[in-house]
Amino acid sequence: MAGSKCTRLSGALVKQLLDTVDSVLFDCDGVIWRGDQAVPGAAEVINLLKENGKKVFFVTNNSTKTRKMYADKMARMGFNVTEDEVFGTAYCSAVYLKTVCKLDGKVYLIGSNALKQELEAVGIQQTGVGPDHISGGQIDWANVPLDPEVKAVLVGFDEHFSYMKMNRALQYLTQPGCLFVGTNTDTRLPLEGGKAVPGTGCLLRAVETAAQRQAQTVGKPNHFMFDCVASRFGLDRSRCLMVGDRLDTDIMLGSNCGLKTLLTLTGVSTVADAEAHQKSGSAERQGMVPDYYVESIADLLPALQG
Amino acid sequence: MAGALGFKGCQKIRGPQIRNLLEAKEFFLFDCDGVIWHGEDAITGAPNVVNSLIRHGKYVFFVTNNCTRPRENYVSKFYRLGFTDVMQEQIFSSSYCSALYLRDVAKVQGKVFVIGCEGMRKELRDAGVPFVEEVDAPDATIYNCALAPDVKAVLVGHDDTLTFLKLAKASCYLRDPDCLFLATDNDPWHPLSGGRILPGSGCLTAALEVASGRKATVIGKPSRFMFECISSQFSGVDPAQCLMVGDRLETDMLFGSNCGLDTMLTLTGVSQMEEAQEYRDSELSHKQRLVPDYVVDTIADFLPAFEELD
Repeated sequence: MAGSKCTRLSGALVKQLLDTVDSVLFDCDGVIWRGDQAVPGAAEVINLLKENGKKVFFVTNNSTKTRKMYADKMARMGFNVTEDEVFGTAYCSAVYLKTVCKLDGKVYLIGSNALKQELEAVGIQQTGVGPDHISGGQIDWANVPLDPEVKAVLVGFDEHFSYMKMNRALQYLTQPGCLFVGTNTDTRLPLEGGKAVPGTGCLLRAVETAAQRQAQTVGKPNHFMFDCVASRFGLDRSRCLMVGDRLDTDIMLGSNCGLKTLLTLTGVSTVADAEAHQKSGSAERQGMVPDYYVESIADLLPALQG
Repeated sequence: MAGALGFKGCQKIRGPQIRNLLEAKEFFLFDCDGVIWHGEDAITGAPNVVNSLIRHGKYVFFVTNNCTRPRENYVSKFYRLGFTDVMQEQIFSSSYCSALYLRDVAKVQGKVFVIGCEGMRKELRDAGVPFVEEVDAPDATIYNCALAPDVKAVLVGHDDTLTFLKLAKASCYLRDPDCLFLATDNDPWHPLSGGRILPGSGCLTAALEVASGRKATVIGKPSRFMFECISSQFSGVDPAQCLMVGDRLETDMLFGSNCGLDTMLTLTGVSQMEEAQEYRDSELSHKQRLVPDYVVDTIADFLPAFEELD
């Protein structure tokens, strides 16, 4: 297992790998697009993979879009994709609460409208979405009225994050039996225009610190996202390839689920990062070493076009 | 860790033992919330204790992680609650000490970006430390907002007007490794009367640590810095002659240990006797540092000892 990892994928090796694989799972940010810009050649790669009889899925930790919003974005960019091939954490968190937690009650939501919509689509009501400004004094904050039907706190990406939201989440979480779920722990959003934008991981850590409690997280590298795809489409792990740009989420998910893994260098992680994990003595870090890497997924084109 | 009078850790003491302690120590450091007052109510007997200590010629200092008031507001509060002999010089709050750190230790050249409250800004102003004053437009986002060019430190504390944009701006500033990262304190939550709690500065500090991948320099307890502030302003403060009295094991007792002070837990606040005993019974040396030398039910237990001293 150790020796043949982190190999540059090129030439004949590409077709060899693709022949051992029936399904390809792609991360989105930093892999097929960067913000609103498609990675050159990405649409062709996706479409050709499908023409070659491969199943293609998208697995993203981003909780700000519903599956439909993703499908629409992809259509605009020329990707031939249907809604049910997309697995974002908004959708998967709703599924998680419904099928794993078997939640019977409402959710206090720190998150986006998309997350609200995915919850409602599986029949879960929420409270809390949108701006929430402070008013009154400390006694008022500690005694905010709590909806007695709320049985879980869910934290996703929220541009309206505020002290008051953190406070409400804390008050709910001090109630016995209240569930605590986070969509993902990514520390930063993909960089846009050189600015660093704090990710859901920051907001989640703030709430975890107040409540002195760890949330159950749904997103990569937790295997739940893969379980969602696999259970819906009956996948054979040994014939799946996970393609991503982050070693600690995408590649780790692949390793956790026994998939083949391919790092693309159009996003966050570098080959040096991968080699550092490989050379470390740590068994845990080996899960972040990809089987293969490419400069960009466009590197798969010659094998697909040939 | 045995106390100066030979007691084992975590001993509840009364009467004669307290009197001996009062005679042995010159400097008394008190936390505030949960020790001398609960919100706007003085703990019964506490004003009498503090005033008696001062009358007996002891040095009394107040060391609090609460960054929401400037010191002059604390003086008013002390007076209002009956602690009539307390002067501003005796009060060491995390916001005051953060300003001192920025001005005298870091000697920051440039502005401070503050995620905090008016109490913090007032202390910075009083210390002559410049900070970013701009107010964000309601529709500003991290993508279209301007960043100040001369930010050399980020200071995070209690901020009930927190916005995502402030977190985002702070993360941008912290990408410069020469930009300092300071936190008033790391307290995850604060108790209010009635058993309720509120999120503390520790939450925002943690969020920024995750965003930046950096660890904050924490000014407040259990860091030693506030004790260093006291020692630099008052001569002859000998740790062996100090007693730190607090209600929170993870901040007050650890602070005392870190500074080489004897420690006393009072049970009128956050931590319970059982928690202290758990730390005492643990095999881990870092947990031993949270064990108090002495325990009292309330600092009012000092009062009989004064009667005997008089």
